[in-house]
Amino acid sequence: MANEIRNDLKYTDTHEWLKVKGNTALVGITDHAQSELTDIVFAELPEIGKELKKGDELCVVESVKSVSEIYAPISGKVVGVNGKLEDTPEIINDSPYDDGWLVELEIKDKDELDDLLDADSYKEKI
Amino acid sequence: MTMVKKSPLNNIHKEFGAKFTEFAGFEMPIQFSSIKDEHLTVRKTVGLFDVSHMSNVWIAGKEAEELITLTTVEDASKIKDGMSQYTAILREDGTIIDDTIFMHLGGKYMIIPNAGMSDEVTRWLNEKAEEHNISATAEDVSRDYVILAIQGPKSRETLQKLTDTDLKTVGFFGCQYVDVAGVDCIISHTGYTGELGFELQITPPKSAEELFYKIIDAGKEFGIKPIGLGARDTLRLEKCFLLAGNEFEGGRTPLEATMSWAINWDHEFIGKDALLKQKEKGDYHRLTYLECIDRGIPRHGFEVQKEGKKIGVVSSGTLSPCLNKGLAMAYVHPDFREKDGVLDIVIRGRQVKAKVVKPPFVKKDWAKQN
Repeated sequence: MANEIRNDLKYTDTHEWLKVKGNTALVGITDHAQSELTDIVFAELPEIGKELKKGDELCVVESVKSVSEIYAPISGKVVGVNGKLEDTPEIINDSPYDDGWLVELEIKDKDELDDLLDADSYKEKI
Repeated sequence: MTMVKKSPLNNIHKEFGAKFTEFAGFEMPIQFSSIKDEHLTVRKTVGLFDVSHMSNVWIAGKEAEELITLTTVEDASKIKDGMSQYTAILREDGTIIDDTIFMHLGGKYMIIPNAGMSDEVTRWLNEKAEEHNISATAEDVSRDYVILAIQGPKSRETLQKLTDTDLKTVGFFGCQYVDVAGVDCIISHTGYTGELGFELQITPPKSAEELFYKIIDAGKEFGIKPIGLGARDTLRLEKCFLLAGNEFEGGRTPLEATMSWAINWDHEFIGKDALLKQKEKGDYHRLTYLECIDRGIPRHGFEVQKEGKKIGVVSSGTLSPCLNKGLAMAYVHPDFREKDGVLDIVIRGRQVKAKVVKPPFVKKDWAKQN
């Protein structure tokens, strides 16, 4: 089973990960999530500039058989999306923590980061 | 209480690394390697499916033929011994109870209702036999059979290694008893993938276990793989085959489901009057085949629009592994079904353009050209 969990990331119990880079953070889905979803064939990404509250729908990823909503782990503004996903959404499966990132958010409230799970707590959830 | 049923081959699926799903009350493999990979394996070489969730019902008695003729859109007297036929069982109002294949096997008939439909179909047939004084009975034997489907351009070569019967003599939609690797089976030259393929009805279920491994062995040189329900769905959708739970949901007639080609009008059958009336009125929504122009994946239940007005609904949709485009089968108002017409499918509030195409989406020679 593909279940890699990285220590330098923060997680949600809905299987998103978040990587803080100064004032912004990259968001993706975990190795466990991509494995459960199976072949990802489509990613519908938000528009740059969109303001999201924690828990809002951030984007949608689709496998052949299913549609899955990905939620914003924190509040913030969309400042970047992974353009590679348009033509090669399967990189979410191949590289969920690196090439397959989804969205970059400008962090609105650093305190919200404390609510996220660390690697050990996420591991217990799956 | 609802119990999830399992295929007799459940343990073998696990051994081959299946991921499971529940479908019509059965726990069945959704995939083994990946849906795309399995899909392309069937299009290009050969795949092995366990479809034991499908039902088996024997129709026997001296008027078995009459019972099928009355309860389906086919005149069973036209289907010779050793042949099978795709048909539909209708209610009096013309809506489809189930679509099925029936096999004519020496005066008896075996029908293959969809998963979870054996009770309803068996009861219906026996009721109609009684009401119309027809000397025939339907017997549900679903639990006694394993159904394997071997599908793909290399399916015949694979199976041929395991039997002395020359499989070239089993013509399209032919069916007969056959010995495959020492196991007595009913073989039919049928399938749900649009590729060359065969289906085996195997009883007792236990005897299918060894056969499963033997087929995998026989197909090894072609790269045979076990195939799950995920690829079964994408394979059938590319060929515009109907999926009962999707295309008949809410009550659809064979005219709406564009099954007119399967209706033999030269006999009396339950639902015929209703169909004739519907045909005359002509205003019914009917299945329409849409290929997305814009990026997006249509799904069951999505709305179809023309200039912002609802004109239909998607019954089945997917991303096509062969074409890498979104595909939809949708019930659409008759005024908007013209070939090459452009309609909108509403995907999460976004209008995605799609073109009306002639079925099937994926043509017969796809694998040779790709």
